[in-house]
Amino acid sequence: MNKTSLYEAHLKLNAKMAEFAGFEMPIQYAGVKSEVQAVREACGVFDVSHMGEFFVTGADAQKFVDYLITNDFLNAQMNKAVYSPLCREDGTTIDDLIAYKLEENKVLICVNAANIDKDWNWIESKKSNFNITLENKSEAYSLLAVQGPETEKHMTSLGFKDLESFEYYSAKEFEIDGDKYILARTGYTGEDGFEIFASHDLIQKTWAKLMDQGATPCGLASRDVLRLEVCYPLYGHELNDNLTPLDAALKWTVKLNKNEFIGKGALADHTPTHRLAKLSIEKGIPREGYDILNDNNEVIGKVTSGTMSVVLGKGIALGLIKRDKFPENKVFKIQIRKNIVDATYHTKAFVNGGHK
Amino acid sequence: MSNIPAELKYTKDHEWAKLEGDIVTVGITDFAQNSLGDIVYVELPNIGDNIEKEGTFGVVESIKSASDLYSPLTGEIVEVNEDLNDSPDLLNEDAYTNWIMKIKISNEDEFNSLLSASDYKPLCEE
Repeated sequence: MNKTSLYEAHLKLNAKMAEFAGFEMPIQYAGVKSEVQAVREACGVFDVSHMGEFFVTGADAQKFVDYLITNDFLNAQMNKAVYSPLCREDGTTIDDLIAYKLEENKVLICVNAANIDKDWNWIESKKSNFNITLENKSEAYSLLAVQGPETEKHMTSLGFKDLESFEYYSAKEFEIDGDKYILARTGYTGEDGFEIFASHDLIQKTWAKLMDQGATPCGLASRDVLRLEVCYPLYGHELNDNLTPLDAALKWTVKLNKNEFIGKGALADHTPTHRLAKLSIEKGIPREGYDILNDNNEVIGKVTSGTMSVVLGKGIALGLIKRDKFPENKVFKIQIRKNIVDATYHTKAFVNGGHK
Repeated sequence: MSNIPAELKYTKDHEWAKLEGDIVTVGITDFAQNSLGDIVYVELPNIGDNIEKEGTFGVVESIKSASDLYSPLTGEIVEVNEDLNDSPDLLNEDAYTNWIMKIKISNEDEFNSLLSASDYKPLCEE
């Protein structure tokens, strides 16, 4: 199994470790609740070095990335980050990713760890008509996500300057005393925060400094609660190889008015088969795979992600509902083992993140 | 190190049992609560239900997972710890004072066949 450069550091902190996407990753340290609270109220640090980093360089770098993804990359300003699905010609979803416009001719694409090979093979196969160089640097980079309202203070202590003017969803290359970092004001928690891409030894040093500064180490379990509280989708749950982004409430990321891109024709014609619902329950925890029912107790969908919200103290879920069965009266129930419980339908995210 | 009181009996599924008269009090062990992490929900059984030895009588849930509870003994459920409805984290605070259910048993031999603290201890080593 793969280990990140921080593996020993996690063991020293008595992290509970488990396999995720072929990597032995920290699931939790002190506890999921306290880690979620640290990110919502102060500053938490996640080792997410398992994620993949592809670099696209050359005269057509921006054009190529814009052709690959459904969201608009070409018109994004310099240094902006763009979240987007990556689709096939038929509109089904290969992965979701963030593309960072680092320079006129240089783009960083960050992809899910479980999909690195699948994405790489796909992107490689599409590059022939473009003047670009494509590099998979996933094994050369470590990645930290530093998240929470006190993140800027911690980053300033690390030596990063002028962060007040560093916009949310943007990225820049930094050099401090000869050490090179790519810094992005992105994350997966809904809070303000930065992601730091750098070499393994630099990330080891940065992690140690953040620990000394009192930032809270956070594992993948709290990361999942945090993203679900703000209703961010996770590939393999709300998104998968068989569904389009339009089935998972991601219409805002599919820009049918931009230039030609892979999947454009199919997505323009596609009527979504599912709708994403945000549901909460008063008692118990809705888990992935549980049936969602209407007021006649007819099964109309399934929970795709579920957890206990630390902020709300309630069970929360995202679920895919068959579009033709989506109840107009918004009455939903969830079957938990042998009990059927009432669920509350939410039009907004369960928690408002504090990001800028 | 897990706390394993010598006066209690145990199951391989990490429940504890204490006999007083013909009533057995049942909970989960310190090892179990520690392995689960933050406990956020306990599904309690119904008073009056009859339960078989090793039958499921409830569920404890942490944020990441749901784990079935298995009854150490056969009997009738006579009491459940309602405090756990509002404060499931009591199990994290002290898994032994915070019991889950009480059952009335008819066969004391079944109780005596449960694991002693010294038999149970090796099951708590990683």
